[in-house]
Amino acid sequence: MLLLRRVAQSIPLLLIVSVLVFALLHAAPGGPLAIYLENPGVRPEDIERLRKALGLDQPLSIQYVRWLSAFITGDWGFSLSDGRPVAQRMLERAPATLELAGASLIVALLAAVPLGIVSAVRRGRWVDRVSGVIALAGVSLPVFWFGLILQLTLAIGLGWLPSSGRSAVFDSGFVDRIRHLILPATVLAAVHAAAWSRFLRSSMLGVLSQRFILAAEGRGVPKRAVVLRHALRNAAGPLVTIVFMDAALLVSGAVVTESVFAWPGLGALFTEAIVRRDYPVLMAFLMVTSAAVILLNLVADLMHRALDPRVA
Amino acid sequence: MSMDPGAQRATFSVNAALVVAGLLVLLALAAPLIAPFAPDAIDLAGRRAAPSSVHWFGTDDLGRDLLSRVLYGARVSLAIGILAAALTVALGAGVGMVAGAAGRWIDALLMRIADAILAVPRLPLLMIASVIVRPGVPVLILLVAAVSWMETARVVRAEVRSLVTRGFVEAAHAMGVKPLMSLWRHILPNVIPTLVVATTLAVGRSILLESALSFFGVGVQPPTASWGNMLYQAQSTMATEPWLALFPGAAILISVLTVNSLGERLSISRIGVRAS
Amino acid sequence: MNVQRRIIAAIALLSFACAGSDRGGASNDLLIVGYDREPDTMNRFSTHILEDIQSCVIEGLTVTDEQMNVIPLLASEVPTPENGGVVVHANGKMDVTWRIRPGIRWHDGVPFTSADIKFTVEAINSPDYNPESTDGFDRIESVDTPDSLTAIIHYREVYAPYALQFVRGALPRHVLQGRDIDGAQDYNRNPLGTGPYRVAEWKTGEYVLLERVPNYWRGDSLPAIRRIVFRFVANTSTRMNQLRGGEIHVTALVPWDKYREVRDVPGLSIHKMPGNSYEHVTLNQRAVEAFRDVRVRRALTHAIDRELIVRTILDSLAPVIHGPIQAVSWAFTDQVARYDYDPARARALLDSAGWHDRDNDGVRERNGKRLAFTLITQAGFAVRENVSQALQRMWRDVGVDAQVQLVDGTSISGLWFEGKFDAMLHWWHMPADPELTLFFAADRTPPNGRNINYVSDDSLTRLLYASDRTVDQARRRALLVAAQQRIADLAVEIPLYNVTRLDAVPATLEGFTGNPTNAGIFWDVWRWRIK
Repeated sequence: MLLLRRVAQSIPLLLIVSVLVFALLHAAPGGPLAIYLENPGVRPEDIERLRKALGLDQPLSIQYVRWLSAFITGDWGFSLSDGRPVAQRMLERAPATLELAGASLIVALLAAVPLGIVSAVRRGRWVDRVSGVIALAGVSLPVFWFGLILQLTLAIGLGWLPSSGRSAVFDSGFVDRIRHLILPATVLAAVHAAAWSRFLRSSMLGVLSQRFILAAEGRGVPKRAVVLRHALRNAAGPLVTIVFMDAALLVSGAVVTESVFAWPGLGALFTEAIVRRDYPVLMAFLMVTSAAVILLNLVADLMHRALDPRVA
Repeated sequence: MSMDPGAQRATFSVNAALVVAGLLVLLALAAPLIAPFAPDAIDLAGRRAAPSSVHWFGTDDLGRDLLSRVLYGARVSLAIGILAAALTVALGAGVGMVAGAAGRWIDALLMRIADAILAVPRLPLLMIASVIVRPGVPVLILLVAAVSWMETARVVRAEVRSLVTRGFVEAAHAMGVKPLMSLWRHILPNVIPTLVVATTLAVGRSILLESALSFFGVGVQPPTASWGNMLYQAQSTMATEPWLALFPGAAILISVLTVNSLGERLSISRIGVRAS
Repeated sequence: MNVQRRIIAAIALLSFACAGSDRGGASNDLLIVGYDREPDTMNRFSTHILEDIQSCVIEGLTVTDEQMNVIPLLASEVPTPENGGVVVHANGKMDVTWRIRPGIRWHDGVPFTSADIKFTVEAINSPDYNPESTDGFDRIESVDTPDSLTAIIHYREVYAPYALQFVRGALPRHVLQGRDIDGAQDYNRNPLGTGPYRVAEWKTGEYVLLERVPNYWRGDSLPAIRRIVFRFVANTSTRMNQLRGGEIHVTALVPWDKYREVRDVPGLSIHKMPGNSYEHVTLNQRAVEAFRDVRVRRALTHAIDRELIVRTILDSLAPVIHGPIQAVSWAFTDQVARYDYDPARARALLDSAGWHDRDNDGVRERNGKRLAFTLITQAGFAVRENVSQALQRMWRDVGVDAQVQLVDGTSISGLWFEGKFDAMLHWWHMPADPELTLFFAADRTPPNGRNINYVSDDSLTRLLYASDRTVDQARRRALLVAAQQRIADLAVEIPLYNVTRLDAVPATLEGFTGNPTNAGIFWDVWRWRIK
């Protein structure tokens, strides 16, 4: 019941997003056909013909309804740069982005959880203060600059890791893939690791000050066990929620990271589409990522309720 | 939550951060007085010089003094950061107050729009918008604010709602104060601390957004220097002249770090919310 | 044998993986090319750039060699008036007879015949297909195929660049007949050709893998290199980093400002060659009234120190030039007016044209209008971004206010196509044939051509059309020399420097010659071999 209501609430959201995306791209000078002007062989009458063929001579409202109903049925149009279906182009790129996002999630949690726990337990001590400064620096870093610096030092300067790409030319195995993943995943993870570690710290502090924890300590349960068994378990719920809520931030980060490291994912597809004014791809990218964000926020919301019975 | 034992240190940090922030703004304002060279003084013969006693930060591809460009760039980057943040918060506060006070369908509509824009990844949205508009600095500020106001609107709306439901407004109304006046009188003072924190954090985020946009070449256009487009230009020579990327990047990091720590300290000393 | 080779390859691949290194050198088994963009399509007629990848797969009837000579490839000889291949009729029509080299087969074994040529002409002239360009094809009346190896092209009028008409090859009739060519994804992604390589895999966003064909017509032992990978690395800095790290072995057109980063990389050889294109500033006379005055155009040229720009920003890698036809072309002349760096002369010219700085703001004005314009150039090219700012500075010194605007590639094409710009810093990919009509004839403004200076000069237009309608090379050269002199006298545009090619290849590569034209460096890939 609750699930149904929540899902129903996200549909108007998606509709607003679709209006926004459509309006934005049709406000562009030259409209969606700007790319054809690049081609001196295309004559004005050809452009007019294309305009008719694509329905661009219709009123905007009709174009919108047509586009939306096509989009919902999975017809995302054709890429203006290579003429292939947009859905196909995005599907090809999705695995690389999911791989990068997954890896960076692991890196971020591996950094955030221990840091968060230690800072909470040793609150106010130097560990806490240092990790606070690191976290603050992490959320303040310009992502691309951080990427460039890592590339310059670890890859080009020291030659420890490949500077860019997803693999050496042919799938040269697991080790090679991991080596290519390390730098981009670290860069993409930095902001999240920083924010999540502080978040975990504060929610752990909240739990640690509660009565049942104090009671457990009073019963002589070892500190380590208290922290891990009670505090962490109770603080994990909110952390998972935040992880899901940060999906939109992850997409922005992926656009930057994939550009710096020539990672062949959706973010790189987006930057290519920006340069080539490939409107169908741009529209599909915004729609798909927004829908994913809405979906993940929905999941976060439901999990929050499931994990924390106090929220009703 | 008990009183933070570091409260005193927090106050100290606030002061320290304020001093650094003030210093940055001062350096930016005084750029014409203290910059050793004109920021666009081209000297092709002296290009790509490493940092030295004449050029503290070295020179760029056209022989322009990097220190002077970082100082002048501060004017652009900080102006975008501060003005976009102010606009963001003003816009967010306005929308939040209207939604919270009006209630019913206006509230629902405004908040759905805010949620919708929040769901669209910010940087790609901004990149598309600035590719279409090809903005100058003032329009860039507008665009940044247009994709950033939603969080503030949500917070302000929540505060206003709670005040409205607690009967503040009715009480004022009973006393004969017009609704709009009562909004100003009662609600604004209550949300101002929230707005101060929101503005501080928005400054950092706006600076980062500008630098990311300029890094993709769709933000501030040369020859105007901003820290973001200096990094964009430095990218092609990073391997041979790393200082070209180091100094503007460090400038961004220091400014954003300063406003973020200010924001964090301000919010800890007040309510203890998450600073991101 | 084959199995054995596969096992060896598998072992090689395995050890590669275990080493975990990307720094494998170039070998006759695998050559990795860093490529600045992913192609839209492999159909050579559908794209405006003669893509390097395609020239490994598809061969033309002719090709332009490193000396800019048109030489036969699939044709047995280049038709000329002397060998009877070109006949100009009294009524002004022209016939060109192509003879195909015997024994050529498409990669699927079907013979390559004159029917394919006829089909190609008809497909390109058909309204059902949107080729990138119909240049020349639109002047063809009909095609006769007296036998399977002979195609006679009947032109409605004399068409001087006829020898390059089929430089893009031909469309295979047996694959594409009766089909929607724009939508023929099988062909457009993996085209059938006659060349030394075929497309084995196109991994979108990452690379195209080419594999040598088993029975190339030049001989079974050719080509020597078994596989070539074109890896897409759009970002120039990233591409250079990968070149330095050995992750890629070849990259064409190293930007001049990157030369110093790669010239000392061990195992890498940078091949330097004068190009056929030229960087210049287009002055749009339609948009900016001041540009219509020849004194202003000459002053703008005198005001800039091209030698200094070349010496510094270009690291002396590209020479200053004075006109649109380059020294590599048979039509080149250096007997043209020059406007060397002379700011005093520039100021005097502007004074005489009535532009004076009366309000002392550093910018001249006339009748209340400031001498100001916007200079656009493509974003993402460090050299251009720097040159445009240097120009801005130098013009400022003589009282001219130019605002620089960086525009992305797609938008800039839209802007020039609609004539919506004041001045533009750019180069054209000039065809191997020195045709200038498209760029300077009065009636060839967009959309009918690329005269985006919007120059309108009767004597120049007459010279150009006359040069276009002769197949007598000596006479054509005389006309083109006169045209170049006229263009220089009028200071139509501001020529800056030759687009000198820097191509990075492994030092162990034999048989590499390079190519100054849009044929690209892979035009003779069949003779490449790693020592």
